[in-house]
Amino acid sequence: MIRTSVLRSAEATRYLAEGLRTVLPALLGLVLLIPGLIVMALFPDAVRPLRALADAERRRAGRRLGREIPAPYQGPDRPGKGHPRDRPSVLWRDIGWMVLHGVLGIEAAVMAIALWPTIPFTLSLPLWWWAAPEGSQSAFVTLDGWPKALTLPFLQGGLDLFLLLWLVPRLARWQALLAEALLRPTRRSSLTERVERLAETRAEAVEAHGAELRRIERDLHDGTQAQLVAVALRLGLADRRFDADPDAARSLFLEAREGVEEALTQLRTVIRGIYPPILSDRGLAGALRALAAGQPIPVEMDLTGDRVPAAVEAAAYFVVAEALTNIAKHSGAGHAWVAVRRDGARLRVAVRDDGKGGADPGRGSGLAGIRRRVAALDGTTRIDSPDGGGTTLEVDLPCGS
Amino acid sequence: MRIVIAEDNVLLREGLVLLLTSDGHEVVAVAGSGPEVLPALLEHRPDVAVLDVRLPPGFRDEGLRAAVEARKRLPGLPLLVLSQYVEETYAAELLAGGAQGIGYLLKDRVGRVDEFLEALSRVAEGGTALDPEVVSELMSSRRDPLETLTPREREVLGLMAQGLDNTTIAGTLVITERSVSKHIGAVFAKLGLPPSDSGHRRVLAVLAYLNS
Repeated sequence: MIRTSVLRSAEATRYLAEGLRTVLPALLGLVLLIPGLIVMALFPDAVRPLRALADAERRRAGRRLGREIPAPYQGPDRPGKGHPRDRPSVLWRDIGWMVLHGVLGIEAAVMAIALWPTIPFTLSLPLWWWAAPEGSQSAFVTLDGWPKALTLPFLQGGLDLFLLLWLVPRLARWQALLAEALLRPTRRSSLTERVERLAETRAEAVEAHGAELRRIERDLHDGTQAQLVAVALRLGLADRRFDADPDAARSLFLEAREGVEEALTQLRTVIRGIYPPILSDRGLAGALRALAAGQPIPVEMDLTGDRVPAAVEAAAYFVVAEALTNIAKHSGAGHAWVAVRRDGARLRVAVRDDGKGGADPGRGSGLAGIRRRVAALDGTTRIDSPDGGGTTLEVDLPCGS
Repeated sequence: MRIVIAEDNVLLREGLVLLLTSDGHEVVAVAGSGPEVLPALLEHRPDVAVLDVRLPPGFRDEGLRAAVEARKRLPGLPLLVLSQYVEETYAAELLAGGAQGIGYLLKDRVGRVDEFLEALSRVAEGGTALDPEVVSELMSSRRDPLETLTPREREVLGLMAQGLDNTTIAGTLVITERSVSKHIGAVFAKLGLPPSDSGHRRVLAVLAYLNS
């Protein structure tokens, strides 16, 4: 019991002492506060040391509290990526934390460290107070006779012990809580950020959807429609020539039929591009199994049977189809693995192979197409393709609740 | 021949009826939805049935399911399945109960009336008719061993897999039947398949090879 309490206090003292690494810079910042504010107004980059300090404390306090303290900064906050831009409230909260942390942190650290030697010193006073030069012992108690020497040191020692065992661990916790309260994003700022991010991805999604519609329109207009016009033309010509030259009319009929067949083939391709028919027949799992059956290499499947919205199923299907095409064409792999699972409101798709790796997401229309399609649904794409280490494609799609 | 048709699209249904009756066949029943198919087949026991894959009420693969079920209830019943698109998986499901008397074609093929009617009677007689697109899908998934074949041998293999007999293959490729037999022998030897006569057993061997 006592042992664990002492250990707890020792650990808290270590935390507070270690805190001097952020406390002392904070005190320096406090001293330089006025000129610092002027510099920050002129050079936005001057905010970086303060951010670095606050980030260090976020990590330290987060470790102590056992939960991560996220930073409220937005925009480029890494060096060399433009100027930091934040709402003013974020800066003011950082400065407020710096002032409080500096002022309170130094006292907490000094007290926690000093308490340890104070206790044996005070408790041993009755043994040697008489030998010390007058007025030199103890900070708080002046001993001038035995009655005092046998009572006051024990009272003070008890108080010190109480402070050490009860207060010091709490001080460490309060310091971490102070950092969390002031340095994490406020509910308001995190909501604002979320709204901004959603507005951005939504605009991208609308743009991607528009591009998709234009592509379909172009395919139908330039392909199928043009083909059918040519067919109508041939039939019209065949009609005119029918009496005079039946042989020529016949060959026009045959050309017209070929034109129709060509149009049908193109139409099938367009339809597959919009929504693969096998998806509505068999669902995502069935469609993917059919896809795997047509691959030249064995594909292992681990699929969820859950139905998700049609747009998400279509995107997942295209991702896997495109990835398997890439694997067959470029990877030289002998095996592929496909996993699709539902994780709450996300559909996670992973396609892996044991091929030669080195896939470059920046090149090749396949991977670009995957990214575009996934981004349109506000999903994320991750490609890991070390040279000689196979390729892993991971796609994460939001799919409602 | 006595024929049952399952097709929900009125235009296509009327077109098929017109096509078949003008060729001297009798359309004994027409089913417009999935649940109607099996009772019609059981009642009429047609010489061959022409089924659309996608039928009401679900507009999924009701026709295909009905076909698979019908083959279980009436083994050997010749069925020609038509679809707006072809899937290797569907072909495999249809052929699982034997390739005898099974056809699986794109709807587009109806436009080539003579070839369509030829495929239909081949199926009715217990032969096989597989769409060239299914066959090329099958062949593309077995790329490696097929690379040892010459282009001409690959062509012959593809036509064999569609269910065509030597005479038709010879006519299609404009070569003699003798050289067709020679190519077939070479294909079987290269793929390590036991030699087999023309007919559905040969189709089965080729498809089994392509599917494995």
